[in-house]
Amino acid sequence: MTLQPYPRTTVFDTVSELLAPLVGDLDVLGIRITPDTRFHDDLVLESIDLVTFSGILAEHFGPDVNLADYLTQKDLEEVIELRVGEIASYVAGRLARRG
Amino acid sequence: MPTMTVNGLNTNVQLVPAAGAGQETVVFLHGMGTDSLASFYLTMAPPVAAAGINVISYDLRGHGKTDRPARGYTIADFVADLEDLLDQLNVDQPVHLVGNSFGGTLAFSYAAKHPSRVRSIVCIESEPATEVWASKMTEILDHTVKFLAVEESYDWIEANFSAHHRRLARMAADRILTTSIAKEVPLGPLLTLDDIAAIRCPVLSILGSNGYQADDLDALTSLLPNGEVHVFDGQGHSVLVEQHKNVRELVLRWVERQAA
Repeated sequence: MTLQPYPRTTVFDTVSELLAPLVGDLDVLGIRITPDTRFHDDLVLESIDLVTFSGILAEHFGPDVNLADYLTQKDLEEVIELRVGEIASYVAGRLARRG
Repeated sequence: MPTMTVNGLNTNVQLVPAAGAGQETVVFLHGMGTDSLASFYLTMAPPVAAAGINVISYDLRGHGKTDRPARGYTIADFVADLEDLLDQLNVDQPVHLVGNSFGGTLAFSYAAKHPSRVRSIVCIESEPATEVWASKMTEILDHTVKFLAVEESYDWIEANFSAHHRRLARMAADRILTTSIAKEVPLGPLLTLDDIAAIRCPVLSILGSNGYQADDLDALTSLLPNGEVHVFDGQGHSVLVEQHKNVRELVLRWVERQAA
C-alpha cells in the first residue's frame, strides 16, 4: 500500500490545534492562527514554549518530527520571527519523507 | 511539560538520550534573568545527543517553567538543585557541565564541591563565584533592578531593540523584582583562588573579545591548572545565541577530546 502524502492544509490545521492550548483561549484573546502568525510576537509565546511545542509535535506526529532539531540550524533572528506556517511546512516535510 | 520535583520545586527538565550507546553526559546550565533551558535546547541539545552524548537540561529555580520561590537563590541553593537532579537521575558517571554566564558560575561551584562528579567544564562568558565576581554581580544586579523598576526603560528597550525584547525585559523584571534573586546570588558561597586552583578537571572557557572578561581574556584560565580559552573576536556577552553553531562545534569537539 502506498501512503498518501499528508495534505499541507490538514497539517497546518493540526499544528494550529496542537498550538492552541499553549496560547490560551483563542476566542477570548481574539487570535486567529494563520500561516503568517508569528510564534513569539503574535502568540506572545517564548522560546521555552517552543521547547514544549517541539515535544507536543513529536508526541503527536512521531519522534522524527523534531522541531527543536530543525531550529538548531536557524539563526536567532529566524527563530524570533518563526511563523506557524513554517512550522507546519517543516512538519509536512518530515511526514512526506516517510513516504 | 516534563517535570521533576527537585528540592521541593516543580522543575522543568528536558532529557535527550544519546544516539547509540553513548557513555558521555552533558548537563546544560543556562544563565540568569530571561534565560531558560531553551537557549541550549534550541541551539545544540538535539545534535549533541545525535553525536552520541546524553543530554540533561533543566530550568534553574526561578526561571523558565520551573517554580519561582520568593527566596532561596544563593549559589548553595542552585548547587543543591543540581545535586538532587543528578541523584534522582541516577547519574553515577562524571558529567561535562556546559554553562552559559551564571550557568558557568554554577558549574565551577558544583565542581569545587563535587570534583569526582565532574568530567569537564565548558563555560561560556562565565566566571567562578569569587569576591571579584560578587562585586561585579552586585553592581550589575543593582543597576538592573533600578533600570527595570522604571516604566520608561521598557519604551527605550522597544525603541532600541524590539517589542520582543521589551517582553523579555518584562519577564526579567517579574523575576528580579518579585524574588530575592538580586540580593541572594552575590552572597555565594564564594570560592577562593585556592578553591579555583583545586578544580583539576579540564576547563574550556569560551569568551567574546568584547564580553564581560574583555579586560583580561586569560584571567580565568591563568587560575586553573587545566584550562583553555577560545575567544570569538568582536563578540560581546551573547556568545551562545550569536555564535551558537560555532559554540556547538566547540562543545562537540571538546567532549570528544575528553572522552578519548
